[in-house]
Amino acid sequence: MPGASVARWSMSYFAAALACLLAGLALMAAGFGYPSQPAQAPDTLVVVHLVALGWLSALMLGALTQFVPVLVSQKLYSDRAPPIVLACHFLGLAGLLGGFVGLGRSWRSSVFLLPAGGLLLSLGFALAILNLGATLARNRPLAAPARIVAAGLASLPIVFGLGVVFTLALGGWAPGAGAARLLADDLSIHAAAGLGGWLTLTAFGVSYRLLAMFMLAPDAGGRLTEAVFWLGAGALIMLLQAVPGASPRLILAPRVLAVVFGSAAVAIYLWEVAGLFRQRKRRKLELNSKMSAVALAWLAVAAIALPASLAAEAPSPAPETLLFIAAFGWLTGLGLAMLYKIVAFLTWLECYGHWLGKRRTPRVQDLVREERALPWFVLYHVAVLCGAAALMLQWGVAFRFASLAMLCAAAAIGLEVLRIRRLAAVPAELAPPEGPPPLLFSRLRPTNA
Amino acid sequence: MNAPKQLAEAVRESLRSVIDPEIGLNIVDVGLVYDVDADGSGVVTVTMTTTTQGCPATGYLRQGAEEAAARTAGVAAAKVNLTYDPPWGPELMSETAREILGFG
Repeated sequence: MPGASVARWSMSYFAAALACLLAGLALMAAGFGYPSQPAQAPDTLVVVHLVALGWLSALMLGALTQFVPVLVSQKLYSDRAPPIVLACHFLGLAGLLGGFVGLGRSWRSSVFLLPAGGLLLSLGFALAILNLGATLARNRPLAAPARIVAAGLASLPIVFGLGVVFTLALGGWAPGAGAARLLADDLSIHAAAGLGGWLTLTAFGVSYRLLAMFMLAPDAGGRLTEAVFWLGAGALIMLLQAVPGASPRLILAPRVLAVVFGSAAVAIYLWEVAGLFRQRKRRKLELNSKMSAVALAWLAVAAIALPASLAAEAPSPAPETLLFIAAFGWLTGLGLAMLYKIVAFLTWLECYGHWLGKRRTPRVQDLVREERALPWFVLYHVAVLCGAAALMLQWGVAFRFASLAMLCAAAAIGLEVLRIRRLAAVPAELAPPEGPPPLLFSRLRPTNA
Repeated sequence: MNAPKQLAEAVRESLRSVIDPEIGLNIVDVGLVYDVDADGSGVVTVTMTTTTQGCPATGYLRQGAEEAAARTAGVAAAKVNLTYDPPWGPELMSETAREILGFG
């Protein structure tokens, strides 16, 4: 029977992603970009893309490489694609960030760096879509969580397609009023398809399965999950309708419908996931599940506040604060919680899987020290709360201190993840004879289940 | 050679040395072992499942169960079949496992 195996390169994705998160938070703590500078200033774009692409997208790509095969009980279509995707992603990101830095300082190199970075990123994303899409296609018809992941992947061409157009416009390849209008009109679609479509829909699809697994709760996949898929797909189609150069009157309705569909999808998802928590058989929650619940609370805040903010046509800083909550409360909160668990699980498989039945092995939970990590997760979420308040109150100094606290917390969680990988918590008598695994990749070859 | 029924029971006991790494309990108490069948010549067939279909630990659990079964005294050959029919659910856990996890 075919099945999933340990993805060889997921750890490389996770390590690079974590480095980008720390770099982004360090820049925010140093006062680089918003709110010290305007929301669309080149330095702000550096921070935004370092977090959205370097951290969140790389984390998601690494996680999907591991968990799309689990969702469909099939092997990854190509084991050779992930390192190529990784190289394209980070080379492209380097070009893009270099282009943004140069843009703020009138360097001529930006003219080439921006589109080159955008194209390399698009190439990496396209290859990832092909590989993950072909893996999903191996087990059709797909269950609802896998279809939600597919919808998230389908958002990506909107994100990187618009992104490439923006890099051409910012690089001066499409000068004049047309470029300015494009940036003003379609930036919100780029951001919504990225944060709402690509990152949030895929997080929904993967978390349905992971939360059920980790809490011993019934698998999702009934009518409510179906509704999340259709509403999410509907929101995506509405976003797509809003992209071309339609008249302002025509593009209003699809954008409104996208928000309505998207908010309904979030509400149903939250209701269903709350049901997983209620119906779980594992009464004592592990740290990753507890911290996922906090991230879900941030998602609820963002989902309630976004339609209200749009209905009231709230000016800055409300939209920026909501984006901050979505990126750092919801997506980063969930990402850090899941990373803590996933690294432990994959490390266990690498070190102890082949010893099952031959010698005594520890549990996955023996690789972590939750009491060490808990205070840092708490600090992280308190700092996000303070950061959101500081943004709303436009208190720049407080925002920098909150970012510094987030940086310290994320770095400490990163160290805990490193300790897991080094098997620091495992008693000596249970240490594997081969020693800890390599930090950045798995030494396992794919196995047949 | 042990009688088939006794041999199957001995194999079931050996399988307790294999843990489900995520739940942290042995695969027998977790309810992953559906059936152990032994014939008169010492050939044992274990039918088991995993908590989640497609789980990356599947191959290791199967291999571990095979190793543990083959090591049992009186076993000439051991074979492990994986099935997801019926799918595993927490209700298949033993009383001991349920109590440890807090839903006894």
